[in-house]
This record gives sequence, structure tokens and C-alpha cells, in this order.
Amino acid sequence: MEHADRIRLTVNGKVHDIEIGDRDDQVGPLETLAATLRERLRLTGTKVACDDGACGCCTVHLDGMAILSCMTLTVECDGKDVTTIEGLSDPKTGALDPLQQAFIDHTAFQCGYCTPGIIMSAKALLAENPRPTEEEVKEGLSGNFCRCISHYHVVKAVMSVVPPGGG
Amino acid sequence: MRSLTHLNARSVGEACALLDEYGRRARLNAGGTDLLSVLKRGFLPDRPEAIVNLKTIPGLAYVAADEDSLRIGALTTLVTLAKSEVVNEEFKVLAEAARSVGTPQIRNAATIGGNLCQDVRCWYYRYPHKLGGAMDCLRKGHGGCLAIKGDNRYHCIMNGKGCFAVCPSDTAVALAALDARIKLAAPDGERSIRVADFFGPLRNALDANEMVTEIEIPRTARPSTQTFLKYTTRKPVDFAIASVASVVWKEGERCIDARIALGAVSPGPVRATTAEALLLGRRVDEESAVEAAEEALAGARPLSMNEYKVHVARVLVKRALLEEAD
Repeated sequence: MEHADRIRLTVNGKVHDIEIGDRDDQVGPLETLAATLRERLRLTGTKVACDDGACGCCTVHLDGMAILSCMTLTVECDGKDVTTIEGLSDPKTGALDPLQQAFIDHTAFQCGYCTPGIIMSAKALLAENPRPTEEEVKEGLSGNFCRCISHYHVVKAVMSVVPPGGG
Repeated sequence: MRSLTHLNARSVGEACALLDEYGRRARLNAGGTDLLSVLKRGFLPDRPEAIVNLKTIPGLAYVAADEDSLRIGALTTLVTLAKSEVVNEEFKVLAEAARSVGTPQIRNAATIGGNLCQDVRCWYYRYPHKLGGAMDCLRKGHGGCLAIKGDNRYHCIMNGKGCFAVCPSDTAVALAALDARIKLAAPDGERSIRVADFFGPLRNALDANEMVTEIEIPRTARPSTQTFLKYTTRKPVDFAIASVASVVWKEGERCIDARIALGAVSPGPVRATTAEALLLGRRVDEESAVEAAEEALAGARPLSMNEYKVHVARVLVKRALLEEAD
């Protein structure tokens, strides 16, 4: 068996060499990826709401797949490539991703707490299926909950970045 | 969460050896979508001492078809099954069951092995110790089943014994209707058991040092019609109140073979064998579907608050059979 004492994690293109252990400055064996991203790497764009895999607020991309960072152990992410909401804007110009801009243009949030997770889910959906139907968008976002009922605006915002003739 | 040992298994043999060493104090982790919730809530009578990561075992995620069977590696994710061409073409009922699980994010991480081995959802069993103390029950090794006299709206309507929590797995229902077998590995070898035999009221058939490595589904020469229906209170992120998987073979208009499995009604998926027999040689129409549905639930013994599940399951059986009739 292998008892990892270090892992390498790429987050938004930046490589992090992370020590595993029980000390406060090390990542413990039960630390979730959400906790590592927020509390160690200070990438607080990723949110934690239910912390139980049911709300989608903590959605990030792991090797391009939308996953729940609150249900993922950091120690099991060795060699993985993580993208968070902070990684969507252009690293040089800081310009927002067109999907992020669409959320602003459509006021697709109220309190905004669930928005990073929704955008990451939508981004993963669009990467796999660049021309989804409205139904497919709803299905793709079915794992993200919004207590403010922003869903209608969210679907409009996502559909607005789908090239015409889509579906 | 208190700290414990985390180990990356490099082979099935190594994972089994660790289970042998730790016994039931080690927990295997694949997708993590159930285990992390179990650990965070803290309701297990014995805190695990080791987490064994299975994702570091190479070659355990595959969907491989040969002449006689389809073999699925235990680490195959549910999204892979939902999208697999061969699964959608020949074992549609499994693709539909996989698609019905959780959310896109959960299906991206969750594996078929984990879906079969996930712990039950009983709200007494899963009640966090930190909220007013542990709720002991037979499943935790102390006392009786709290659901019998308590709120049992989501519990067993048949086959409960000691524990009345239902099997939460959707893929298990489809696999039971497909007559699949589960391969279990132990330090001293392998064995294979039928899906229906894997589940029991208090725990599954896994010995302390065993793990699921593969699911094997027999292929049949004649094509069948297959349907999976799951009734939930909300569409995503929900467990079945009842579900049904049906596989029917016809010659002309007559049914020549049928398999019906019920889910979320019992500690494991239940094959409705007398209902299956009743369909043989008959047209699958409203009349025979209603009779089969009655027969499938004839053995139901609901608890104080869950008689509605009998009706729900009955309607699902009827609908599944009639969907095939179209």
C-alpha cells in the first residue's frame, strides 16, 4: 500500500505541492477539496452550503469533469487538474468568461452564493455539449440548488451563450 | 472529522489485505459520494480507522462485452454507464437506472461498485451522534429497529427483518432484472453471487475482507424490451420511494419470458417471480399488466405509515409493463 505524504495538485493552471499529515499546516487525510481550496489556497469563490453532496454549491472541475469538492478528499487528488470559478476569467486581461458575463447581463442570481457552482456546472455542460437544448441545460444544472429561485434567469443566461441554431 | 489513516491501494489484492488487517474498521472509498457523508455525519458505532482509496487501482474501470456477457469493472462511474453505447443498446434498463441517480456531479464521481455498496438512508440510522446523542438501533448493534414504531414512511414494505431500511441502490434494481452477478474478491480468492443475494436486512453479503470487483450481466440472443421507472418526491438528488425494472421477451405479441425487479421496497431488490410467471404466453396489455402488478405486491406487509408505497410500486409495475407494450 501507499501512504502518500505529498500530493501535486494543479489549480487554475498553478501547481501546488501539498504536504499530507496531521499538523495544522498539512492537509489531513479527511480534508475535503472544498476546504483545501477555500482555507489553504484562499480560493473562496468555491462555496460550501450543505457540505453533504446535495446542493452543488461546491462544484469545481476535476480533470474537466464537474464534481462536488465537498465530497472529494484532497489526498485523493494527486496529479489532478482542478478548475475553480477563479480560473474562468482570462489570466492576463482579467476579462470575464462570456458565461460569467451572461450571468451579469441576465441578473442570473440574487444572493449569489450558489452562482459559482452553477457556472461551473454550466461550463462543464457546454464543454461537452456546446449546443444544448433548454431541457439539456436544466438537466445539466439539476444538481445545483438556488434558494432565491434564480433558476429561470440562469437558464436564460446559459442559453444566451449557446450559438444560434443550437439544440 | 477526527483524523485517521488514509491508504492508496495499488491492487485488488492489496485492498483486500488491508481489509483483512483492519476488518470492518477500514472503509473502502471510490467515488466518495456516500462515504464522505457517512463520515461527516458521524453515526457509525465504530469510527473507521483507515480509508482505503480504490481509485489508485489500475484497470478496475471498464465496460467489456464478450459473446456471453457484459462485464463492468467496479470503479466504472455511473456517467460512463449512462453514456455507454453497449449499455444503452442492450441493457437500457441499467443505463436508465444509472441516469436516475443523484445529480450530474454525483454521477461523474460515483461508481457502480459504490452504488451497490452504499449504506442505507434510514433517518434513524443516519442520525448524527452530535445532535443529541447516538440513536442506537439493531443495524448499529444495539437495540431494535426504531422505524417499526417510528416514522417509517420510507421503509420496507416486504422482507424487513430486524432492520427495515430499504436498499437505496437504483442500479441494483436494474441488475436484478438483468440477472446479473457480482464478483467479490477476498485475500484467498474470488466468488460470484447473484445481485439479489448480495443484499440482506442488516448488511450486504461482503465478508469483512471482501470487496466488489466486477458486475457480470448475461447477454441474451433474443432482444428484450426494458424499462426502469423510479418514483421520487423530487426529480434530482433523491432516492426512490419505489422503483421497478422490467425486462420482457416476446414472440410475436406473446410474452415468452419476463423479469420484474422491485426497488426501495425491501432490504434488496426483489424479483417478482410469480408476476413474471403470470405473464408467460400472454399478451402484455392493460389486463395482464394490472394482474402482474397485483401479484408483484401480493407479498407486501407495509408498516404503519408506508402502505402508500404498495400502491406506488403497483402502479410502477403496471406502467413499466405497458410502456413496453407500446
